[in-house]
Amino acid sequence: MLPVPTTCPFCACGCGFYLLANQGELVGVALSETHPVSLGRLCARGWNAHEAALWGSRLTQPLVNRSGKLESVSWVEALDHVAGRIRGLIDAGKSVGVLGSARATNEENYLAGKLARAGLQTNNLDFSYHSICGPLLTGLEEVCGECTPSISLNDIESSQTILLIEGDLAETHPRAASAVMAAVDKGAHLITITHTGTQMSRLASLVLPARPGNEGEVIDGLLAAVLNLGLEDRASVEVRCEGYDALRRDLEAVKITAEMRQAAEWIARATRATFLIPPVSGEGPPSRREAAALATLAAVTGHLGRPGSGLLPLLARNNVRGACDMGITPDRLPGYHRLDDERSRQRLQDLWGKKLPSPPGLDAESILQSVSALIVLADDPPAVLPMGQRALAALGKIEFLVVLDAFLTPTAQIAHVVLPIASFAETEGTITSMEGRVQRLHVATDPPGEARPGWQVLAELCARFDAGASYRSASDVLSEVGQATPRYAHVGQSEDRWGGIGMAKGSNGGKFRLCVAEAPRLTPAEGSHVLVRDDTYDWGRDPLVSFSPTLSRDFQSQRKLFPKGFVEICKQDADAVGVHPGRPVRLTSVHGEAVVPTRVRTDLTPGVLLVPYAFRDHVANVFGTHSVTAVKVEQA
Amino acid sequence: MVFTLPREGTTQWLEKLLEAGEVIAPVRGPCGDVIFSALRSPAQVVWDFENPLHPPKQFVLPQTDPLVKIKLNGQRHEVEPIHDDSSRTLFNVRSCDVQGIAFLTRMHEAEPPDASYLRRAHNLTIISLACTTPCPPGFCACTDSGPFLSGGYDLQLTDLGGSFLVEVGSEKGEAAMAKAPDVFRKATEVEVAERKALEVAAKAHFGPETCHFGSAMRRISTGRVQDALWEKMADWCLECGGCNFVCPTCYCFSVKDLRRDGTWVRCRMWDSCQYTAFTLEASGHNPRAQRKERMKRRFFHKVSAQYYTRDSMVGCVGCGRCIKTCLGTTHMPAVVAAIRKGKWHE
Repeated sequence: MLPVPTTCPFCACGCGFYLLANQGELVGVALSETHPVSLGRLCARGWNAHEAALWGSRLTQPLVNRSGKLESVSWVEALDHVAGRIRGLIDAGKSVGVLGSARATNEENYLAGKLARAGLQTNNLDFSYHSICGPLLTGLEEVCGECTPSISLNDIESSQTILLIEGDLAETHPRAASAVMAAVDKGAHLITITHTGTQMSRLASLVLPARPGNEGEVIDGLLAAVLNLGLEDRASVEVRCEGYDALRRDLEAVKITAEMRQAAEWIARATRATFLIPPVSGEGPPSRREAAALATLAAVTGHLGRPGSGLLPLLARNNVRGACDMGITPDRLPGYHRLDDERSRQRLQDLWGKKLPSPPGLDAESILQSVSALIVLADDPPAVLPMGQRALAALGKIEFLVVLDAFLTPTAQIAHVVLPIASFAETEGTITSMEGRVQRLHVATDPPGEARPGWQVLAELCARFDAGASYRSASDVLSEVGQATPRYAHVGQSEDRWGGIGMAKGSNGGKFRLCVAEAPRLTPAEGSHVLVRDDTYDWGRDPLVSFSPTLSRDFQSQRKLFPKGFVEICKQDADAVGVHPGRPVRLTSVHGEAVVPTRVRTDLTPGVLLVPYAFRDHVANVFGTHSVTAVKVEQA
Repeated sequence: MVFTLPREGTTQWLEKLLEAGEVIAPVRGPCGDVIFSALRSPAQVVWDFENPLHPPKQFVLPQTDPLVKIKLNGQRHEVEPIHDDSSRTLFNVRSCDVQGIAFLTRMHEAEPPDASYLRRAHNLTIISLACTTPCPPGFCACTDSGPFLSGGYDLQLTDLGGSFLVEVGSEKGEAAMAKAPDVFRKATEVEVAERKALEVAAKAHFGPETCHFGSAMRRISTGRVQDALWEKMADWCLECGGCNFVCPTCYCFSVKDLRRDGTWVRCRMWDSCQYTAFTLEASGHNPRAQRKERMKRRFFHKVSAQYYTRDSMVGCVGCGRCIKTCLGTTHMPAVVAAIRKGKWHE
């Protein structure tokens, strides 16, 4: 049994561990004390990381849909078929697109981007998780000029104050929750902004209740309290911040509570403070504003640019940052260069030897609804996108759908061509954590059947669309990534023992452009109810969870128990409506209505009804295109 | 009988042991961690090390353990047991882990005996290395499972500097020595005295962790731990299951069939009693749905008088691994202290 060091394939904390294999099969996971992030610890997902690759429905042969049935074919046949059909559709003037992935390596994403832009001549390039995490990064960039995090997980442990906009940190990012816990254990003040009683909120010194979707209002309140009490860091404000006077004006009418004053004092007086913002699904602009306002709060209190202090956007999936770094977005090239930045375009054109398309592309949701041919790399849009099952319906209408994945996801099931690729345990490559650490994957076992490493398959596709280069290994691809985006140029030169290639900490050397979160999203009338989609990232539909016997149990059980989903309601509201636990309620909004069973909770704010992300499809009519809406609640 | 093994004789002995079967020993892994792994050459063995965080219990109770192969033959299912008959030597294992394996063996020997586990355990020769310097998080003095052992091993080595004192604990131990009889000689009285002095010195050099099981056992066994305390502590657990997986005495498992080329392989897999779904029933009912209930169950199981009255030991060997690996702060010494004092973080 040889321990193979690798990087955790789940959330973006970037833990490391050893995969254990015996006679060519994965058998377990072993801890590492030398890994700089995990430090001898793992969460439940990490401990069971070997399971999905071993127990899951793996794709083992290239498959082509012929007369409604997926039939196995040779690799050459499959790749030629893909090239032929897509070329035919392009020649017929039809649009095409590519989805990259937050669970694919940097190398795979880079080649997916190259395939789209240089090969298929389109900027219709995105990935599902971008809808969840993109707004956080954009909000941070608006204030700081860059979207790199300014602290590491280990820095959190020595913070004196932590401001956490709470999704459910203990569930989504256990390693980050561990760091927060360690700080609180040492006496740090934890302040949470939340609408439910989560585990982290129970550990908090101060809970700032926020109406769902109105977290920005609380951040604005904190900003106003800082200014009102004269707690700004004068040096930071005078030297680094732009727009201070406008900020002061924008905050004049903002209501400040005693709790906000207390929180503002703790934040401002701390030598080291941490600001954590979780990923939320959908409704990009408000999330972006919240991220920007949080960065503003960190900037005016002097915590941006101060060693050990700063803001860390909590990205949902392991390689969200890597996919963004590789330019898997419709409007950015590798390295976050804007599509209309001529110098960057020219550099990439020189590197790839092809002219690049200039019209901006579509985002993931629009791609699904409008292209005729789509290549999907290790992504399952119905599981991730807020549009849920409507994404599957849209995928079903696409004329030619090609899926590269290790697992038989719902998206792969309806593909016209399935190309089996190696899972994280069977390929070389790199992953970039939310801290910005670029870390390696290593091969622990061979891919099953005829599956091949994703970078090889994508390189073959690139070659068929005249965007090729000869890559002998994933490292060759990484070398080219270094030419396309300078930050990756040093990858491989100063590696620590775990292959970590250093943190991309934000330099935050420039000016901060201050701004507020602005108007709240929704102000329901007194006594009425709001229906809120719980945008805490749902791991249950992720193939690495759903194919793991240990990790999938809770989710499977819940789906079995609640085939019609459920909505959570607080005891007080349930009594007022006269609904018993488990019985259905009728929810009516301006968009539509739905009848859903209830689950009664004691820790929910009165007036708020919460729908788990996994059950969003059952109330899709009520939400329309929103994630928060005013509803009428009645017995059904 | 007590023998002496000159340091230079270890290579020859290990070579002979390797000829006879698999030798598992702490080796330095690719990223600097010391890990229990199958030796390829004697030079890989590390002699001066803090106990590896990943325990050696995986060699008697693997994380994924194939038990039987199930084949469909016509209309009938044929079941074929999978035997792991490999002869293994666990070399340089620490005292706490020896006691851990002894604990697991007692449990798996109980009616009905677990043939799969016992086959591995019976084919395992345990050569321990006494802890002349206790590891920083260890508290084996509180569980009577170290730093030196008075039994449970096949051979116990003590590092005397230029040589190792070898104490024989069983016939398996004698057989292991017989692989290279020429490298051993009878120990002198001075060497035996030196080993005793090292044990006394080691006991005086424990780290800061202590775990007073006595009063905690009384309180937990007589139902004197308030529910509110479990509730409070449960908020400081992140439900990673790490405490179970690294614990030398934890053996909880679940069973799952793995499909492989027309056959199914029924596997036993490590599981954690701290996971919500561990006790989840098919109906959807969960007798321990709340974390405080699962935590209470775990510590009752480990600390209450049930094992003590039977085996004269608690369900903990004081290795301190849970302190290092706990993603929250609810490791054994912290919880035992809270049970004893009746308060948490106050």
